[in-house]
Amino acid sequence: MAQLIRRAGAVLTVTLLLGGCYESPDVTLHEPGEYKGPDDPFLEKAADPEHQEQLQQRLARGQTDR
Amino acid sequence: MKLYRKSERPGGVVDRRTFLQRSGLAVGGGVLAGSLPLTMVQRAQAQDKVNPPKPGVDTEIRKSVCTHCSVGCGVLAEVQNGVWTGQEPDFDSPINLGAHCAKGASVRDHGHGEKRLKYPMKLTGGKWKRISWEQAIDEIGDKLQEVRAESGPDSLFFCGSSKASNEQAYLQRKFAAFWGSNNCDHQARICHSTTVAGVANTWGYGAMTSSFNDMHVAKSMLFIGSNPAEAHPIAMQHILRGKENGAKMIVVDPRFTRTAAHADKYVSLRPGTDVAFMWGMLWHIFENGWEDEEYIRQRVWGMDEIRKEVASWTPDEVERVTGVAEADVREVAETMAKNRPGSLVWCMGGTQHHIGNNFTRAYCIVQLALGNIGKAGGGADIFRGHDNVQGATDVGPNSHSLPGYYGLTDDAWSHWARVWDVDPDWLKGRFDAESYLSDTGDMQPARNLPGIPVSRWIDGVLADPADLSQKDNFRVAFFQGHAMNSLTRGPELKEALEKLEMLVINDPYPTHAAVVSDRTDGVYLLPAASQFETYGSVTASNRSLQWRFKVIDPIFETLPDHVVLYRLARKLGFDKEMFKHIKVVDDEPSIEDTLREINRGSWTIGYTGQSPERLKLHAENRHTFNTTTLKAEGGPCDGEYYGLPWPCWGTPEMGHPGTPILYDTSKSVAEGGLTFRARFGTERDGDSLLADGVYSKDSEIKDGYPEFTADMLKQLGWWDDLTPLEKREADGRNWKTDLSGGIQRVAIKHGCAPFGNAKARCVVWTFPDPVPVHREPLHSPRRDLVEKYPTYEDIKSYWRVPIKYASIQQIDYSQKYPLIFISGRLVEYEGGGEETRSNHWLAELQQEMFVEINPADANDRGIRDDEWVWLEGPNGGRIRIKAMITPRVTRGVVWTPFHFGGWYQGVDLVDKYPKGTEPWVRGESCNTATTYGYDIVTQMQEVKPTLCQIERAG
Amino acid sequence: MARMKFLCDAERCIECNACVVACNNEHEVPWGINRRHVVTMKDGEQGEKSVSVACMHCTDAPCAAVCPVDCFYTTDDGIVLHDKDICIGCGYCFYACPFGAPQYPEQQAFGVRGKMDKCTFCAGGPGEDNSAEEFEKYGKNRIAEGKLPLCAEMCATKALLGGDGDEIADIYRQRVMKRGGRPQTWGWETAYKEGES
Repeated sequence: MAQLIRRAGAVLTVTLLLGGCYESPDVTLHEPGEYKGPDDPFLEKAADPEHQEQLQQRLARGQTDR
Repeated sequence: MKLYRKSERPGGVVDRRTFLQRSGLAVGGGVLAGSLPLTMVQRAQAQDKVNPPKPGVDTEIRKSVCTHCSVGCGVLAEVQNGVWTGQEPDFDSPINLGAHCAKGASVRDHGHGEKRLKYPMKLTGGKWKRISWEQAIDEIGDKLQEVRAESGPDSLFFCGSSKASNEQAYLQRKFAAFWGSNNCDHQARICHSTTVAGVANTWGYGAMTSSFNDMHVAKSMLFIGSNPAEAHPIAMQHILRGKENGAKMIVVDPRFTRTAAHADKYVSLRPGTDVAFMWGMLWHIFENGWEDEEYIRQRVWGMDEIRKEVASWTPDEVERVTGVAEADVREVAETMAKNRPGSLVWCMGGTQHHIGNNFTRAYCIVQLALGNIGKAGGGADIFRGHDNVQGATDVGPNSHSLPGYYGLTDDAWSHWARVWDVDPDWLKGRFDAESYLSDTGDMQPARNLPGIPVSRWIDGVLADPADLSQKDNFRVAFFQGHAMNSLTRGPELKEALEKLEMLVINDPYPTHAAVVSDRTDGVYLLPAASQFETYGSVTASNRSLQWRFKVIDPIFETLPDHVVLYRLARKLGFDKEMFKHIKVVDDEPSIEDTLREINRGSWTIGYTGQSPERLKLHAENRHTFNTTTLKAEGGPCDGEYYGLPWPCWGTPEMGHPGTPILYDTSKSVAEGGLTFRARFGTERDGDSLLADGVYSKDSEIKDGYPEFTADMLKQLGWWDDLTPLEKREADGRNWKTDLSGGIQRVAIKHGCAPFGNAKARCVVWTFPDPVPVHREPLHSPRRDLVEKYPTYEDIKSYWRVPIKYASIQQIDYSQKYPLIFISGRLVEYEGGGEETRSNHWLAELQQEMFVEINPADANDRGIRDDEWVWLEGPNGGRIRIKAMITPRVTRGVVWTPFHFGGWYQGVDLVDKYPKGTEPWVRGESCNTATTYGYDIVTQMQEVKPTLCQIERAG
Repeated sequence: MARMKFLCDAERCIECNACVVACNNEHEVPWGINRRHVVTMKDGEQGEKSVSVACMHCTDAPCAAVCPVDCFYTTDDGIVLHDKDICIGCGYCFYACPFGAPQYPEQQAFGVRGKMDKCTFCAGGPGEDNSAEEFEKYGKNRIAEGKLPLCAEMCATKALLGGDGDEIADIYRQRVMKRGGRPQTWGWETAYKEGES
């Protein structure tokens, strides 16, 4: 499970991203936490190469100008 | 983790500026107009999750076609146990390649039917009362018989629909014929009737000459009075592909539309001056020798007359009338001239004028001068409006013609009587036998007189019967699928609705007509099934016929239109004759049989080859058609064009592939090529009207030739190519009336077009203005120009009613009403909007009727953005709407959408709808404030432009 | 492994709102909630441009970083999802999001904020794929069915692309090469730390 959860380690990036958006720079920075919810069986399916291939074909069929 | 002080947290609403800043989307210095969609703040009580898909239940995919515009996008519906649970992109359709606009993406809402009429209702003592279908048909039928006995069959106005399928629209026309009246019509009257008349009279057929897909190969594209980004969004996919392929894109429009935002060049002109603009373009074309001389010599008649008229349209005069500077006009002309072939597209901005037929002919003439017609990438690409307005025009309820543009002459009646297999005398006997004053000044029997068109039906109710060319006023009106708020002169419309003895509305929704009048009795609402609850063929703007399969059964107590027509015909006693060759099962006439009957009779326009079987085969093999040429490459439809675009000549067995591009001589007729139609005789003023030395590929006649008749086959020595059976049928007939199709087959076998090979004509000697000229709008703010470019004199009887021109124009309304008022479409809604404003996904996106007004005009009137204003027209109609201040419109011009209804002069009529059927979104109809004015040829209403005044609504 | 992204081609977007309606239809999103918006700049003027915006499924998603209850997770192909059972509707993610994506249906009286709702890239949420429960909370899971986000698949002009980032960038790049002009991958720098790739 742990490897599925992206650790938002780049605190600096987050700061930069958000910094431009708001007037007040008065913020407290925290480390991101670990996902607390139940498993999503979709994650296993998404990793299946066959499924990936299917999505690729779908993209070519539906979103190109043909 | 980033935390904010509580006090910094804004309220629940985010304005667009904040939103953009945050999303990194703001562009340098751009002014951000408006605010986030109102959806962020307004909520309604729309029910959530109405028909969610159920896991583990089989899902069936059903193919249909979107019902919201004429592009004809394929719809894939997911159905579980008869419930419409999902929509998938139809990637296989060569027309939309899976794409939809907001409307197309929302069609599943039809299956929810929250706001639909659910059962027949009757207005009694001001209350809506549920009744049975039997009672409804009985009472309506009895009343119809009563007025028929007293006032004759012409006392019924029967309005059909451009939203009916081909088969239903055809049955609507047939119903009127068997009832014994030509007083039937549909929306084409008020959207493209001037196109059909102008274009057909120029080169033969009044339809889009190529396809949306053909835009891929255009070298230039000129949009005038057309805004596909909102009106035909999926056309934009093809247009932008064309642009990416290098085509130059020009938009000429009084308003900076969302289409203009994508153009290479935008030109703003004064509304109502397109003829002047076109002649301005031609002035530069002739001046610089940019015209296609060889093309004109071989294929065009009367261009010299045009040269004379154009000579007076010097750049100065063009600027004085249109407001467009010489450099801009020249640039547009040069771009079109130097990037050929180019496509010219117009829509309702070019048609809704009292000289609309002059506009449409002027567009055609520019394209003829450039040699742009009959070529891939070129064309007069008229984008039609409703999903089946093309089909309903071709074979449906038109007051001036029987199906297939046969007209109303005795020959036309005898042709169709033969197809219908009924006694012509019996049919004749159904009509009022009296003769009345015709348009040409002589007396003609009612069956040969065009009926009163939908644009004028209110005059059929309100006019003094002594002024009418029929026995009596309309006493009953029956609307099977038409929005009343699309018609001008709102206050008089209300009066007409109130004066009727009975009003029947047969529609999926109650519509504006059900609520706008102060009637308390005599209104019937008959719930109609949508096109997703029935099946049949539908003709897209590019003339392709597509088959819709039924998605779900009719919901509630709704019935498809053809079932209602059958039950009415039975009640009125002519069902046996009307459905003689159409099988009826459980009161439902066979759609397939109906299409076969259309096939058997519509030779003029090649609606003969598209059998139900062939159309279904195309529907199942959509993926095999090329997305640019629309030609099937391999598979069971190999070599055919998608949807067998008409003309699809001969019988279905002949296997004609359809005609993707009209008048394209580079292909043989058998492969979809064509010449200009020999429709106007063979000579004029001693000049031959036939093509000069040009012919379609493989033609055995290497020059122009007239339309084919049996005698002509004999003269050519081709008579014996007919089978004995064909000979028997064809003898003494022509390509339009030979029911065997033999004449067409043999002509095509020899490489010829059945309708002849002629020149297109620039001069229509049968029209009031043989050479198209500019005339100032009836409500013109330019009094200085009215004198030089006046309208026509009033006419005593035209299409059975008096028609006013000069008596309107000579009144100067522009002092009291100084603003030019035009109207148009929003992408979320369609037509009168009842259906789409009742669709909760669409309604959420556009919640208020508004008027676009230039900042200068707003400031002059002390109006702030989003404030309530009153807009008043010269007819006295007033509408209370929101102001949207925007530079999209120029100073002096205001624009409103035309989709709203359900309000009248400041009052929300919500309480007058049957409970639960009021649309999510209601608003003032712009046409409450629009004015009198009708095209001199077709009775198209002049809504572009009229005048108005706007003031703050305190 | 694919990296799922959205890209909106402003040269093609015509502000038709098909993407918004497709999303609302597919997921039965309630009135008042729009997971996707079309934003128009210079509305009504020369230079008018529109783009369709929803959750961009950011790399190092800021919403996840600010969530006090850690309800977010990211799939291997970069789709940012969340668990509504844990979400407390605090609204922090809305303020962190550079695209204004998170939405909050008002629930019950007093305008109490409901659980956060946002674009799932049509990939549902935790729990069994395409179960009634998943649909109720998150909408359809098209990705699990081998389909791509419906907003992109139904886009009127194929302006909105949704799928593997490399492939949609290819489609877009070919278009730009054909028509000339400068590529403008709206929002990519913010979301994926890259401009036109």
